Amino acid sequence: MVEITRSFEIEVELIDNDHRRLVEIINEITQAIDDDQPEECARLVPDFVAFTKRHFAREEALLEKNGYPQVDKHRRHHASLDDKMKTMEALALNVVDSPAARDTLRKELVFFLMDDVINEDMDFKNFLVNATSKGNETTDE
Amino acid sequence: MQGLHMVGIHHAYGAAKILNNISLTVPAGELVCLLGPSGCGKTTLLRIAAGLEQLQAGSVTIDEVVIAEGPAQLPPEERRIGYMFQDYALFPHLSVLDNVIFGLFRRDRRTARARALVMLDQVGMVPHAEKYPHMLSGGQQQRVALARALAPEPRLVLLDEPFSDLDTNMRARVRQQTLSVLKQNNVATLMVTHDPEEAMFMADRIKVLGDQGRILQSGRPADIYYKPADEYVARLFGPMNMIDGVVEQGGLKSSFGTMALEDSTAAEGSIVRVLIRPEGMILSNGGGDGGAPVDIISAHLLGDTSVVRFKVRNGINSGAEFHMRMSGAFDPTELGQIWARVDLRHAFQYPQNQ
Repeated sequence: MVEITRSFEIEVELIDNDHRRLVEIINEITQAIDDDQPEECARLVPDFVAFTKRHFAREEALLEKNGYPQVDKHRRHHASLDDKMKTMEALALNVVDSPAARDTLRKELVFFLMDDVINEDMDFKNFLVNATSKGNETTDE
Repeated sequence: MQGLHMVGIHHAYGAAKILNNISLTVPAGELVCLLGPSGCGKTTLLRIAAGLEQLQAGSVTIDEVVIAEGPAQLPPEERRIGYMFQDYALFPHLSVLDNVIFGLFRRDRRTARARALVMLDQVGMVPHAEKYPHMLSGGQQQRVALARALAPEPRLVLLDEPFSDLDTNMRARVRQQTLSVLKQNNVATLMVTHDPEEAMFMADRIKVLGDQGRILQSGRPADIYYKPADEYVARLFGPMNMIDGVVEQGGLKSSFGTMALEDSTAAEGSIVRVLIRPEGMILSNGGGDGGAPVDIISAHLLGDTSVVRFKVRNGINSGAEFHMRMSGAFDPTELGQIWARVDLRHAFQYPQNQ
């Protein structure tokens, strides 16, 4: 199971809460795979993708509001993950019939969360911690 | 989470920045490859994980235990890491079996011997257990080094250019076996290499490091190969063909007709560079959409493939030289006019600043 320990935290509540929710969904998907419930797994993957997209939008809004100078770069990074999310959705369509698709999905979800989402967010951690400590930790959504 | 987690690693030797804000995760059972040229900082990152290099900034966590952060840094021998060096670093005065037992000093002799034999069995080296390193081939030494690294059941294995001293045929065989053994042991593995093919073969994920220790791209081998983030990453995988196209009416015009433009914001009349892998050029004796007439410069049979060089005859890339690989023999004298087309799956567009 994936767990958000201290070293994975961005120390901005809004973002860390989103990351925790992503972890929860991944763990639910993993559990469904372990329990041999591929239909449940297939149902959860679109939820994961939808929540991820909402998280990206919230994060970009927060970065923009706080004047993060590399917000466009981070936005491009988010956009570059579209294909990976499509791959996960495609895998979800195959998990019922394919154990290999389940293994690949499990692996892709973990790398996606840890490497593409959380590790990339470490780039702005210090900036955002400083900025939000001045009272800007909300978005205008 | 089980595995390695490095966050915000910076490292410098004096004024020279070696690593610049590196974060990476290697889950248990997965293999992540750091790919980059000599001097890009990849071995330094490995040494920081191992504790052989003092951490200057950031943190290192293994299996949810922070082993290095600020001044608190666990010594290498307490990190439960298996490190396989480029030169294997076997002890010449110890037998194969004793080399593997050496890392098991916390266990009693009988248990250590049993564990060492299990690992030597996994790498197929039990028949050579009583031999000394100088009596072994390079591939056999590599397998002993792998057995020694895995024997103490490490939480993390670090591989530093593990196949670079092997000849081509041996390398292919040994890396297949190494990968199988690592997967069998379900251990997190961080490997560094400058060899893109090796990274493609071994890695679940590749991280490409560039100058001043920045991660330029991170992804599955297929992501890196088919969607390189920039020209540097594209060229890591070998020589590329290059043409400059012109943006015209929303398309990209070149001698090969008008290609779909990937960057819809590129200005009319601006130049977009297209890098094409050798396997992305297709030759035929018929024209058609996207075909350009070419003159063959040379063709060399290399066994199962031929390397062909040719020159574009007309259009805005007239005179540009290309090279390609095709399966089997190629004899241009048997064909009439030859045409080239671009397989867009192997072509990558990079707008040029003007």
